[in-house]
Amino acid sequence: MLDLSFLLFGRGNYQIDWNKIMLKINDLHAVVGEARSQILTGLSLKVPAGEVHAIMGPNGAGKSTLSYVLTGRDDYEVTEGTVELGGQNLLDMEPEERAASGLFLSFQYPLEIPGVPTMTFLKTALNAQRKARGEEEMGAPEFLKKARALAKELKIKPDMLKRPLNVGFSGGEKKRMEIFQMMMLEPSFIVMDETDSGLDVDALRIVADGVNSLRSPDRGMLIITHYQRLLDYITPDKVHVLAGGKIAASGDADFAKLLEKEGYDKYAA
Amino acid sequence: MVGVMNIINQLPHRRMEAWKWTDVSRAVPEGMPGLSLAMAPRFTPPAGISVMQGEGATSDTVMGKLAANFAGQSWNFHVPANTHPADSLLIENLISGHGRITIKLEKGASLTVVEHHKGADKSFANIDMQIHLAEGAKLTRILVHDDPETATRISTASLTAEKDTKFEQYVLSFGGALFRLETRLYGKGEGIEAHMNGAYLLSGDKHTDMTSHTELSHPNCHIRQSVKGVVTDKARGVFQGKFHVEKEAQHTDAEMRHDALMLSDRAQIRSKPELEIYADDVACAHGNTIGALDESALFYMRQRGIPLAQAKALLTEAFLASVFDDMADEDMKASLMKQINQWLEASYGF
Repeated sequence: MLDLSFLLFGRGNYQIDWNKIMLKINDLHAVVGEARSQILTGLSLKVPAGEVHAIMGPNGAGKSTLSYVLTGRDDYEVTEGTVELGGQNLLDMEPEERAASGLFLSFQYPLEIPGVPTMTFLKTALNAQRKARGEEEMGAPEFLKKARALAKELKIKPDMLKRPLNVGFSGGEKKRMEIFQMMMLEPSFIVMDETDSGLDVDALRIVADGVNSLRSPDRGMLIITHYQRLLDYITPDKVHVLAGGKIAASGDADFAKLLEKEGYDKYAA
Repeated sequence: MVGVMNIINQLPHRRMEAWKWTDVSRAVPEGMPGLSLAMAPRFTPPAGISVMQGEGATSDTVMGKLAANFAGQSWNFHVPANTHPADSLLIENLISGHGRITIKLEKGASLTVVEHHKGADKSFANIDMQIHLAEGAKLTRILVHDDPETATRISTASLTAEKDTKFEQYVLSFGGALFRLETRLYGKGEGIEAHMNGAYLLSGDKHTDMTSHTELSHPNCHIRQSVKGVVTDKARGVFQGKFHVEKEAQHTDAEMRHDALMLSDRAQIRSKPELEIYADDVACAHGNTIGALDESALFYMRQRGIPLAQAKALLTEAFLASVFDDMADEDMKASLMKQINQWLEASYGF
């Protein structure tokens, strides 16, 4: 396990009622793109604070759509249903407001941002979130200290932090950079979209250690994955099958193994 | 002398190929302040360099002839052989009227010229600059332009460059009612190295035209040109670039780029890169792109908590920054980037 106790500091005077933090999705319907294809067809899900839930399912079931609907991407339109995070109506908020309220998405394909150094990007993001929450901005020395310590833990070379974000990074480096950002931003709810894709075993372990260190009674997580592999390293509290745009079945951690063995065929119909 | 009444008829207009996107005659109402007056620039020369008024070099461009008619004598600067003034020649107060400036660098001399072009409400300014670089001389020219939305300005610089000279140009323009920056480089020897970069950031109803004409007639010259633009609202950006490579100019290595971001449906970008090559062993290239900000990148940045306007500004700044990458003067570079930042804050609203 990583020693990440230093992450507990620096929250300032910001008071959150952590017991309320929970993702509550009710009867969610969503259409995508100009064609308005119906992808989510009445999805309901509750993730209590302190729990890690996994969402598994066949390709095209709506897994990535769910992550984009939660984070408010353009072209993903909710036609019915509600989503609440910590008692707040997420669907009324801009993507950056959702981020400031504690929602973090680890992207399946993290974007390259040419010309914007990683540290500049992250400091801008961190302080924009703090500003939106009415907190004091983090000064450069404190930010640098925290970033350097964390980079070391995640085996990220200091040189990478100076380079434009994700530009020329390998698939594994990009995923590690997602975890780095996640740990710097300390979100209260984390959605991970196919984080294991493109990772070798060593990188997978580093990523999983990072995620596990963030497990806490006041934080919820949703892990979206096609394969069971990542769940060998991050044990979920619950496993759900997403098929045909809604939750088709749910179970405990062992359910993932069964799904891996039996496949998703029987949920597809 | 040309009378005031028929100046308008002599101004370049859209039926002239080189001015088809920048019609000066239409932008200039009769009686516009400065139309028939001499300009009163303010010069801060470096130690050892003095300004003299005199005949100056003549120009054969339309605007150069008008300047010769109305500006009177030229302001002349002379940098003696092998002298390297530590400070820049600062040129300001280029508000309205016609002005002529002649700069001569003798063998092995160097100079940095910094120009601030800023007019007044409804002003007209026409500056004609004639520059000569003798063998081995090096000139760096930095030009910042920011006019009111009602001011018209034409700034032309014609350079003759001898063997082994270096010319570096960095332009930052925030536009005016009509602004034309014309750079004409005539190579008169081998081994000339020129970098001509520029950025324009235009909002409202502003217009900037960056036109250049490079003529090479000797071997082994190296030319790099990169102009980047951002247009919003109803603004109009124009880029015209020409490389003319004579058949004696073998082993020319020349590259021209123009890249623009169009951030509004009503904004316009017009671009005309031209290569005219008579030599058979040269590397000449041009590239031109017009695009918008990457929506996926913007969403990614917003997901991390960066508000939309700020995300746009970060991406735009990153897009423009390369134009000034090679500037040796870090303080000047920082000052230009700060002005870009201020424009982005004001235009994107955050």
